[in-house]
Amino acid sequence: MDRSATSPSTLTGGARGNGDAIFTTIVRSAAILILLGLGGMVVVMAWGARGAFATFGPGFVLGTAWNPVTQHFGAAAPVFGTLVTALLAIMLAVPLAFGIAVWLTEIAPARIAGTIGTLIQLLAAVPSIIFGMWGFAVLVPFMAHYVEPLASHTLGRVPGIGVMFRGAPYGTGFLTGGMILAVMVTPFISAVMRDVFLSMPAVLKESAYGLGMTRWEVVRRIILPWSRSSVVGGVMLGLGRALGETMAITFVIGNANHIGWSLFSPGNTIASLIALEFPESAVGSLKFSSLMAAGFLLMLISLGTLVCSRLLLRTGRVG
Amino acid sequence: MTAVEKSPVPTAISVRDLNFYYGANHALRNISIDFPQGQVTGMIGPSGCGKSTLLRVLNRMYDLYPGQRATGEVIFDGCNILGPRVNLNVLRARVGMVFQKPTPFPMSIYDNIAFGVRLHERLDRAAMDARVEDVLRRVALWPEVRDRLRDSAGALSGGQQQRLCIARTIATRPEVVLLDEPTSALDPVSTARIEELLDELKADFTIAIVTHNLQQAARCADQVAFFYMGEVVEVDSADRMFTAPREKRTQDYITGRFG
Repeated sequence: MDRSATSPSTLTGGARGNGDAIFTTIVRSAAILILLGLGGMVVVMAWGARGAFATFGPGFVLGTAWNPVTQHFGAAAPVFGTLVTALLAIMLAVPLAFGIAVWLTEIAPARIAGTIGTLIQLLAAVPSIIFGMWGFAVLVPFMAHYVEPLASHTLGRVPGIGVMFRGAPYGTGFLTGGMILAVMVTPFISAVMRDVFLSMPAVLKESAYGLGMTRWEVVRRIILPWSRSSVVGGVMLGLGRALGETMAITFVIGNANHIGWSLFSPGNTIASLIALEFPESAVGSLKFSSLMAAGFLLMLISLGTLVCSRLLLRTGRVG
Repeated sequence: MTAVEKSPVPTAISVRDLNFYYGANHALRNISIDFPQGQVTGMIGPSGCGKSTLLRVLNRMYDLYPGQRATGEVIFDGCNILGPRVNLNVLRARVGMVFQKPTPFPMSIYDNIAFGVRLHERLDRAAMDARVEDVLRRVALWPEVRDRLRDSAGALSGGQQQRLCIARTIATRPEVVLLDEPTSALDPVSTARIEELLDELKADFTIAIVTHNLQQAARCADQVAFFYMGEVVEVDSADRMFTAPREKRTQDYITGRFG
């Protein structure tokens, strides 16, 4: 019998070695494919946008017109709406998510905390179109009839910030959009915060309590400084979600090409502008190209936010 | 001998019929032990015998965790600290704790100490500086850190961090200091320094120290308690415990027959 061909002691070649090489190739291809997809998307967006940038130059970013009749297109209003609604969402969601995370990790009994934590995560699984319908059917009338009139009679009279709370109570607009987004990103932010708080060494918390600190002091002086950059990373992750959200916000933003101080006024976001106008613009037209350019801007903003959050999450452990 | 010398040392903490449960697990059984004021009580015994658990009862640390409960009495300053109306923040300031691993807070060396003090006292800048220097001198850390008080405490070595944690604990001027295997994560030189420190600290504080190191208990403790399976088998002076134990189980443990 020729041992050299079948012996397991052969050091080179053999069927098992080849199998592993094939497996390695397959998984490596999967990783490369997705990178090619991402790169291809960036290239296609930039290529499609070249018409708009060639016609309007850098003025496309700052231009406030969106007029298919005169063929003038500028992305300033949807960029403004995107940033304002996303920032509003973060301002509303962060305190809420922080409260949820602290309660779940520090105060709630373990059994209840597990259940409630899962329920909050389920909120992230609700399709965004459902949030849109709920926003349109419930939140918009509620805002128009109660919240906005009340706010304009109280906050609207405060000098300075008052200008943000004046105007006709349509119900649709930046504020309602921000609120819808806040509900949608809260589960993400609170999940990140909860994981960070849980990863804190118990003995560090105990030594803080051991000095006679109250729960609030431990959270404020020990847990938050310890987890600061991870928490910021989680917030950026939520911001990324809020920037790109489309369906829910299209239902409640009002879809007007408008920039203004009032949070009650209808506006637009890049995502909802594209969702509404893309299907009815001719391929190769200037409008088509302008929508691609707006999409390109949105992609830059979102990718920038995500990169920031990754960097912050990676440097999240301090001694 | 004069009458004064014969009179017993006053008791700082008195534990009576203490039972402790981790959920259904009965971890301490009818514990009764006194911690004499100004003395070091060493607590020894095999892993899982309940000595650390007792420590965590003395400052109600177990309260942080649902499902853990204690019955019986722990008398400190005339008050049963197991009672429902005890202010835990005050209790923990008066019964300080040092853990097995150094746990510096994510802040500067100075703030690690000043922070705990600020929770309970209002000191002006000069008084706070003096307090920080005083406690750092007492733990023999001052010469090593005097020029970098504003640096992060995370940059110190393990032994330095542990001395910082002891300084932080005594800075709030507690009456009792609990130490849970404070040297088990340290090298022999750092261990020796902390043992020396205990000797000086007992002038001002009542000390309870859990240790796996029998030599350490023999060197540092005035009184030693041997724990086994959730019970206190024997409490005696360190001299008698290590030379002439009354119980066979104690003898077996200290001669290394189990544990």
